[in-house]
Amino acid sequence: MSGRKTGQDGMMRLGLSLGSVGYHYAAWRHPEVPADGDMDFRHVARCAQVAEAGKLDFVFLADVAAVRNLDDPRVARHREQGHVKLEPLTLVAALAAVTQRIGLVPTASTSFNHPFALARRLASIDHLSEGRAGWNLVTSTSPDEARNHSQDGAQDSEARHARAREFLSVVHGLFDGWEPGAFVRDRASGVYMDPAKMHRLHHAGPHFKVRGPSDVDRPPQGRLPIVSAGTSDNAQELAAEIADMVYGGQPSIEGARAYYASVKARLPRYGRAPDSLRMMPGIMPVIGRTQAEAEDLFASLQDRLHPEVAHGMLAINHFPDLRGHDLDAAMPDLVMERGHETAGREPELTLALMERARREKLTLRQVFDAVSRGFWHFGIVGTPATIADAMEEWFTTAAADGFIVQPPLLPRGAEDFVHLVVPELQRRGLFRREYEGATLRENLGLPQAAWARTPARV
Amino acid sequence: MRYNRDRPGAHMVLGMPIHAIGYHPACWLVDGVPPDGAMSLRHAVQCAQVAERGKLDFVFLADTGAVRNHGNPAIPREREHEHVKIEPLSLLAALATATSDIGLVATVSTTYIEPYPLARALASLDHISGGRAGWNLVTGFSPEEAQNYGSDTMAPSPERHARAREFVQVLRGLLASWDQDALVRDKESGVMFDRAGMHRLEHEGAFFKVRGPLDVAPPPQSRMPIVTAGYSEEANEFTAEVADMVYAAAPTVEVARTYYADLKDRMPRHGRHPDALKVLPGIMPFIGRTMMEAEDKFARLQSMIDPAVGLGMLALWNFPDLRGYDLDGPVPEVEVKAGRYAALSAGLLERVRREKPTIRQLYEMVAAGFWQFGCVGTPKTIADAMEEWFTTGAADGFNIQTPYLPGCAEDFVDLVVPELQRRGLFRTEYDRSNLQDRLAPRLPAFA
Repeated sequence: MSGRKTGQDGMMRLGLSLGSVGYHYAAWRHPEVPADGDMDFRHVARCAQVAEAGKLDFVFLADVAAVRNLDDPRVARHREQGHVKLEPLTLVAALAAVTQRIGLVPTASTSFNHPFALARRLASIDHLSEGRAGWNLVTSTSPDEARNHSQDGAQDSEARHARAREFLSVVHGLFDGWEPGAFVRDRASGVYMDPAKMHRLHHAGPHFKVRGPSDVDRPPQGRLPIVSAGTSDNAQELAAEIADMVYGGQPSIEGARAYYASVKARLPRYGRAPDSLRMMPGIMPVIGRTQAEAEDLFASLQDRLHPEVAHGMLAINHFPDLRGHDLDAAMPDLVMERGHETAGREPELTLALMERARREKLTLRQVFDAVSRGFWHFGIVGTPATIADAMEEWFTTAAADGFIVQPPLLPRGAEDFVHLVVPELQRRGLFRREYEGATLRENLGLPQAAWARTPARV
Repeated sequence: MRYNRDRPGAHMVLGMPIHAIGYHPACWLVDGVPPDGAMSLRHAVQCAQVAERGKLDFVFLADTGAVRNHGNPAIPREREHEHVKIEPLSLLAALATATSDIGLVATVSTTYIEPYPLARALASLDHISGGRAGWNLVTGFSPEEAQNYGSDTMAPSPERHARAREFVQVLRGLLASWDQDALVRDKESGVMFDRAGMHRLEHEGAFFKVRGPLDVAPPPQSRMPIVTAGYSEEANEFTAEVADMVYAAAPTVEVARTYYADLKDRMPRHGRHPDALKVLPGIMPFIGRTMMEAEDKFARLQSMIDPAVGLGMLALWNFPDLRGYDLDGPVPEVEVKAGRYAALSAGLLERVRREKPTIRQLYEMVAAGFWQFGCVGTPKTIADAMEEWFTTGAADGFNIQTPYLPGCAEDFVDLVVPELQRRGLFRTEYDRSNLQDRLAPRLPAFA
């Protein structure tokens, strides 16, 4: 399959993930990166404003409510970035006040929150941003996170997804607790609101019992665009049922196409058209005006990757312990180790890299390099033209409907993408030159969300 | 016993609730008040900036996670303005970007959430605002709120306070997860943090099990100010134990003094200096440049109260349904029901028997501030009253409850604040940007 998409508008959608100070493990040590940017609102605001200048659809805030992997002696946590951050919901509320057009997509878990509390925060952020909020809905798999919330470990997949479904239905029911026009605020008659347009939810399900209505007015968008992720059968099924976008993590176009097809094939079951869901793989572009400049940038990051940190990268991806092995000697034959607690790392990717190391006789340093370039996601070191080529190929051959850009370092990775790659995509007619609408839904091309009376669940 | 502050030259602490568009029931009918201000960031920014222009210590956002008081035919909810709002933590994060010095105090209940998510939200707000976050800790008082979180009724007060006590312990422990200098971020050596400076909490208590550490860097304020309120024995003891400020409600200076003395007496038992707790009664001032102007403004506002809304307010304060009676006739002989705020209701009934108001006068009395200190006056007379409360053991400062916004905030800042400044009772400039240090210079423990 190739050529322009039918059904969608022929334009890709782009998000920018503001993960810590960048997706390269050594980003924080780079001279252009503010090492304390993870906690510095001005830094995050600057990155969001750069993305907005590039007409990107949204900024995206990943989240795990924990400092992870503290107990694995192979993971040198004290040398890594990304332990501390600004909590995403609080952060995007502040970003709403310093941006005008760009969407704001925080991550929030259905595993540890309560739907009433989260519904009012999400609705509030949508009001503060005048309709620019989205929600990356995650179910939590991290045992570290569970242990911060009075639980001993993460729930199994079935339980997590059942809770997520009910959670979302409660959130939507609360959003619709106030029918449009409920607040008449008519000074002449003294009538402030129309009680006929206030709807209690009276939800009572296996996980939650919520009376409603919400104490926050219906969000301007009615429904916040939902992002989800995950490759398990349960995760794909939930995405097909409820998501507007899927954040994918596939390092190769073949893998991305298979995932794309697998999720889209599930849509008809929910009465949904294939183009009603956008597949948005992550892409980490290391950008240079020339290929040499891009390789230099990558090398300048890789040079700062402390070997202890690199060994930690291998550990969380289930590689055996290679500490003590000569960095420049060929790798021994490797056997995958399981049991590390970081969830969401695909064993197939590890096996594939082990196979490649054996075939190509890679050194340990080269394996570090391969992991850093984009191991669980799509990494590319290139020029605006070659990066746009790759994105176009993914976009036109059913591997992607857009991308979530994972800048290797910030703010430079965002600036280079906006100043160099975006114009190239615009020249090719693949990306907007101006925002189409005022809300995130409008810019994503999603239909207006009609108000619906949510029936009581008893 | 009357407690006198150690530092007689100290300034008052002044906070201002941004109570949507005001405390007076007719506020939404006043020209210049945006009727939809409760959902408007622009309105909240304007109010916060006015308060900051007045060098106030903090703005304050009250909260109950519920739409309340529906289902009582005596309360005409369709004619009242308080239904929806912007959730406080979200709104304050946005306000942090539009202000530079003023404190930002969010109300959050300990009854319905876990401490970890609140610790990270408050710590994040403290970072975004540069050390200006505060927490008004409540344990919930609304059954409607409980029903939004899966319970049919509220837990009893001792249980709620036991949970709150453990919640504070966990939250403070999490905020101390990282030593101030633990995150060294040394690019040269590649050391991000000093392992010895990171502390897990490993908390296991009756209500919570929390491992830690917090995934937010140590907040600029080493001890985030906590505000409490309430009158029960549990609430008073809890306040003396954990609070930096207490939002008090006293209609008269005598009532305020009794409450003040009681709380300050409790402090040493918890090893705390009495000055470490600031007692801040609510005050609702109706301000005019002259007494005549103040009286005119006040009378105009009172006359705008929708009688149906006025009667609804009486129902809320446990009076029987008085619909059908002549508004300008006497209040009939009634009993108040036991219910929420029973003591306040009983006090109000006392006043009815003493003062014999008409029904209209009674609801106007309630609207003018009867559970807090309502006063009509000029900058001078209002400052006189505040000075008296401040210097005679009734208050360490006040929460300014504006009848309507933003107009009454402007009146207070432009008229009363300069008078307080002239008297040396209030700051003329912000000295420190950190809310905690501004409230209370470090005090010794009190043996």
